[in-house]
Amino acid sequence: MTSGTLQGMTQDSMMTKTDPQAAKIPEVALAVRNLNFYYGENHALHDISVDFQARRVTAMIGPSGCGKSTLLRIFNRMYDLYPGQRATGEVMFDGRNILDHDLDLNILRARVGMVFQKPTPFPMSIYDNIAFGVRLHEKLNKADMDARVQDVLTRVALWNEVRDRLNAPASGLSGGQQQRLCIARSIATRPEVLLLDEPTSALDPISTARIEELLDELKEEFTIAIVTHNMQQAARCADQVAFFYMGRLIEVDSADRMFTNPKQQQTQDYITGRFG
Amino acid sequence: MWWLRSPDNARFSSQSFSRMTLATATPSEEARDTAGASRSGSRRSGPDTAFHFLVAASALLVLVVLGGLVVLMGIGGGQAFRTFGLGFAFSDVWNPVADLYGAWAPLFGTIVSTLIGVAIALPLAFGTAFWLTAMAPPRIAAIVGTAVQLLAAVPSIIFGMWGFFTIVPFMARTVQPFLTHHFKHVPGIRFIIHGAPFGTGLMTAGLVLAVMIAPFMTAVMRDVFAAMPNMLRESAYGLGATRWDVMWKVVVPWSRSGMIGAIVLGMGRALGETMAVTFVIGNVTAVGWSLFAPRSTVASLIALQFPESPAGSLRLSALLALGFILMLLSFASLALARMLRGNTK
Repeated sequence: MTSGTLQGMTQDSMMTKTDPQAAKIPEVALAVRNLNFYYGENHALHDISVDFQARRVTAMIGPSGCGKSTLLRIFNRMYDLYPGQRATGEVMFDGRNILDHDLDLNILRARVGMVFQKPTPFPMSIYDNIAFGVRLHEKLNKADMDARVQDVLTRVALWNEVRDRLNAPASGLSGGQQQRLCIARSIATRPEVLLLDEPTSALDPISTARIEELLDELKEEFTIAIVTHNMQQAARCADQVAFFYMGRLIEVDSADRMFTNPKQQQTQDYITGRFG
Repeated sequence: MWWLRSPDNARFSSQSFSRMTLATATPSEEARDTAGASRSGSRRSGPDTAFHFLVAASALLVLVVLGGLVVLMGIGGGQAFRTFGLGFAFSDVWNPVADLYGAWAPLFGTIVSTLIGVAIALPLAFGTAFWLTAMAPPRIAAIVGTAVQLLAAVPSIIFGMWGFFTIVPFMARTVQPFLTHHFKHVPGIRFIIHGAPFGTGLMTAGLVLAVMIAPFMTAVMRDVFAAMPNMLRESAYGLGATRWDVMWKVVVPWSRSGMIGAIVLGMGRALGETMAVTFVIGNVTAVGWSLFAPRSTVASLIALQFPESPAGSLRLSALLALGFILMLLSFASLALARMLRGNTK
């Protein structure tokens, strides 16, 4: 970790705003070292070591079942919901190992947001979808909450479309709107890292384009890890690309080099569509 | 099962599908339509017609049976309704010696014992179902899940005997003396626990009913919870929500219509339950607020007095009229469920 102080994962550190000067230095947000993951007896990730740079987009690509989503789900300890799944190794985030047993998962998950393959609006109003996560971690008065809701909806370019129906059920929005709502919901808790698991796989091309534009803006403030099956998407959005195959990290490099001049033959074969 | 088809659920899963298939499905659907149109014209073959007739007939039979039941109960109970008028439903006299009959006492017993049963079973079923789907280790969930199904398969007369030999003595020797000792001077509670410690009554019946209907409600709720997309659950956990938040703010609203289905299923069973209730309710046709005094329900009264009522007697007619009212009560609970379900959207 380049950040000096070893802050605990407290409510305070969660709220510290990122220093705009720091954006120029590619500092490491998530440092993965010798990470192994098991679904019961099945060894799904083998000895992964990779850095996720702060305020950059890192895309994870690879054929289905290669372990890229598994890696994503380690960063917010989602696997903890399922008995029999376990990880060994180290994932350093703000001076702490995410895999530590005594880590407060609720605070970790407030600092590491996640968006899924399909839009997952909660069965409540648009407003409450945003406020739900915020209320879990902060006590805001009505005016502050209104401001937060407006702020995040504006940032995902949804505010003008929903400002008149904030109290309508979120299920009434279109798929693309729902997914932008889910992104807004994730950034409303002011996380540092945003995990995106094939966020556009259920969306039409126009909605997809809007989400990709959105990522470009969001990376000013958040460290973004995105899993995608779409090579063009990885090339368009990512600063850094990691190629996974059969639970192993084959290659990681800047997006430019990865798509023009990969070092590994396997990577070359995959990105040119010869397998996967 | 209609209560599983929540509109939210349907939309969630079909969304990506409908988009993907939209472009390609249209031509083939048109082709199918034209094929269907020509088939439904003159070229319908013999077996096809017979099949058409059979499936339509079995569907119409439902209407005939339902109508037949209502008419039979209505006509059979006609004599009682004519003799006592609308007052039949609200009179608490049930006196075969004087040939005076009113439905209120057993109706009261049915409604109150059902409400007690549902009130106790609901949290039990909800907790069991939530634990089984969201928290239990798979192996233990499988064992408990099977046990729930076995419990649902136990015939009601077994519950009746169990209630008679276990719950009734327990109420008489432990619960009632305890309550009487501690609460007999508390104004709001005194009238609920008033009565000699027989052990039979609405509370006992409600308890036995709760144990009977909880497995059914658990099974339905478990299906509803299991139908909830994992991603939705994970989204909530992913924001840092605790299990408690996820349960109350996401799972419960999402599965509301399914849970109403579970409640109606349990209520329907409790309303009509005869044997188990007859064993433990005491069978006295009286009305009163004490939950620990012997009472009767519509079903138990009919079962007990039917064999002693001669054909053509006013008493038999009164029993049929009771049956008619019980049916209306069941229909009303179903209608209420539909109304509540309609509000969810």
